[in-house]
Amino acid sequence: MSEAREKHLDELREIVAEVLEVEPEEITETGSFVEEHEADSLRAIEILARIEKKYKIDIPQSELPQMENLKAVYDVVAHQAGWQD
Amino acid sequence: MITLEHADIRRILPHRHPVLLVDRVLELEPGSRIVATKTVTGSEPCYAGLEEDLPASAYAYPASLLVESFGQTGAVLWLYSAAMAGERSEGTLIFGSAREVTITGRAYPGDVLRHTVEIDQLIGDNAFMRGETWVGDRRIATLGSVLAVVREGLAVGTGS
Repeated sequence: MSEAREKHLDELREIVAEVLEVEPEEITETGSFVEEHEADSLRAIEILARIEKKYKIDIPQSELPQMENLKAVYDVVAHQAGWQD
Repeated sequence: MITLEHADIRRILPHRHPVLLVDRVLELEPGSRIVATKTVTGSEPCYAGLEEDLPASAYAYPASLLVESFGQTGAVLWLYSAAMAGERSEGTLIFGSAREVTITGRAYPGDVLRHTVEIDQLIGDNAFMRGETWVGDRRIATLGSVLAVVREGLAVGTGS
């Protein structure tokens, strides 16, 4: 795994953990936000908002349903931000 | 500078007595900023049924209602701005969340809460706001991120 990818994943993990009010270590790459951390649509929009702000990108709301775990969030953000990790 | 009286506010917010917690808008810059007041009185429902001989602190205005009042103020800014821009909001206005809230003082019956709220981020039917609440020259709360959303369901406001 590239260093850049690792860094981005850590940043995203931090954002998700803050919104879901859990420790960053509890957010695994494939753990479902909904099933493991009781996330709902409001938490999802908060995660999206923070990511948009941090990386100064626009993520279509239509992407929200697939942002169900950290890896999926990374994939969506990487695509929108043009990361070549 | 745009100002709004209570009758105007009732046309913007769906809330009604006793949960309509914005009295008057002193300043409104569409899409940007609002300053509004909410007067706390001894006849608020939150003081009903309290026991006799309670200490003064028992009459501190509840932080939950302060945050709700702040959120409603932000919603006035958001919905008024959207209406001016020709965007219709259809659905139910819902309080989403409040984060980074610091309460640094109390308000009591007779005090006038003055909320200053800015729109931080708009994402579709979701508005993130931040600001402060003052009583006179005392800042009693800072609110880092308050989320209000509109979701499908009942209509916002009464129109007219």
